[in-house]
Amino acid sequence: MTRWNDGVDRTRAVSPDITAETNALPTNCFTDPEVWELEKETIFSRYWIYAGHENCIPDAGDYFTRTVGDKQVIVARDEDGEVRAFYNVCAHRGSKMVDDTPMTDPGNMGRIQCPYHLWTYDLDGDLRSTPRSFEEASLNPDLDDEDVTALDPDENGLMEVRTDTIGPLVFCNFADEPPLTLAEQAGKLKTRLESLPLAEYEHARRYVSEVACNWKTFAGNYSECDHCQANHQDWITGIQLDESELEVNDYHWVLHYTHEEDIEDELRIHDEHEAQFHYFWPNFTVNMYGTADGYGTYIIDPIDEERFQLIADYYFADPDLSEDEEEFVRTSRQLQEEDFELVERQYEGLRSGALAQGQLGPNEHTLHRFHRLVQEAYEA
Amino acid sequence: MSDTFVAGCADCDERVSTATPNDVIAFYRRHRAVTGHDVAWERTPTALAAPSSTDIDAVVAALDGGAEGVPLGVLAAVMDERGWTVGETLAAVHERRLHGALWEPRDDHVAAV
Repeated sequence: MTRWNDGVDRTRAVSPDITAETNALPTNCFTDPEVWELEKETIFSRYWIYAGHENCIPDAGDYFTRTVGDKQVIVARDEDGEVRAFYNVCAHRGSKMVDDTPMTDPGNMGRIQCPYHLWTYDLDGDLRSTPRSFEEASLNPDLDDEDVTALDPDENGLMEVRTDTIGPLVFCNFADEPPLTLAEQAGKLKTRLESLPLAEYEHARRYVSEVACNWKTFAGNYSECDHCQANHQDWITGIQLDESELEVNDYHWVLHYTHEEDIEDELRIHDEHEAQFHYFWPNFTVNMYGTADGYGTYIIDPIDEERFQLIADYYFADPDLSEDEEEFVRTSRQLQEEDFELVERQYEGLRSGALAQGQLGPNEHTLHRFHRLVQEAYEA
Repeated sequence: MSDTFVAGCADCDERVSTATPNDVIAFYRRHRAVTGHDVAWERTPTALAAPSSTDIDAVVAALDGGAEGVPLGVLAAVMDERGWTVGETLAAVHERRLHGALWEPRDDHVAAV
């Protein structure tokens, strides 16, 4: 029975049983600003979040910034070639240090310096130097210079954020004690992606769109293709939807789409004769195309409870795209626009307040997994 | 609609449409943070008359935002008439603020000193 907002509170937590009536998240999880505040901690500060692609910062001192909820990190390659992440916050009095710097237009710095009082850090986060005014007490009549304790570089360095990688894909985790390692969260996705030559492909395009719906609304749309027949008619040409497969794992799920005609192996990065769309909890996807020798990623980044940014990146062997590759990216963009129309329309309905709790169909088991993970995160 | 402000990023073919011009400023900041791209105006209300000068101090003074100052979005829309992008307007405002010519009576609003 459909659970309308008709004065009778019948919403329930997402049932582990997909055949149960309450197999989906209540609507307020998509529309309530307090739920978004909760998600910043229970989801985005707890699980491994995609930070960026390490090919974009090949040299020591290269860096970009990545914002997740209210937190921002500097992702930088240190002198030993290791990619590390630090809160973009000075150890002195908490100033933001470097300006917003996108992965696609990275910066380079020999050291990390806060512009406020010029505290300066090595690329490994250790405090390198402070101005003389922090080493003597000339302006304070109550202190002698010898009363000033030197700042220990190790003890006064930047706050590092845990990072790990899957191939060239860098992830970070803000939890003091993450409930899972990246390998545990990724499961066999890690093995699968690391078997592919992802690092041999270069960043070619980034498109960022702002969409008027909750990030989970788009995540749900990505995770099923029941809507494709009616809404992506150009894209499904040549795809055997009835032979597609949905593979569900603990923290990721894969949509496999078989092509009607055999495509040359050179036109794919992977071996299987299909397109593979990997959703990696909570908000990252890796898109392996069946008809292009390249791959894409999506970051589904919430702005607030009713908007998100879709950060779409495309990687090809040569960033100077051929005409066919340009056309491929255009088709991908068309697919995104069609999906934006759908999810904004759905969200308009959700915001009306009529529906208290939706319901999932038997073939929406990928969404059910997603809704269960959200529910588990809220309860953690 | 004549009271609608529309601005966008040509690289991403992404646009924002709003009746609140400072929404364009927020959009520019979010978009620039993840792309490095600038944002240009596509449509501004015809009622935004101001002196045809590129002297941003003079334009701010002429717009006369009262005690709250001129919303940065309104100023950026006016400067579009001079061919400036949102990023170029914000950079000019920053430079003039640090020279003491403009001040910010309210967040994202500016006034002449």
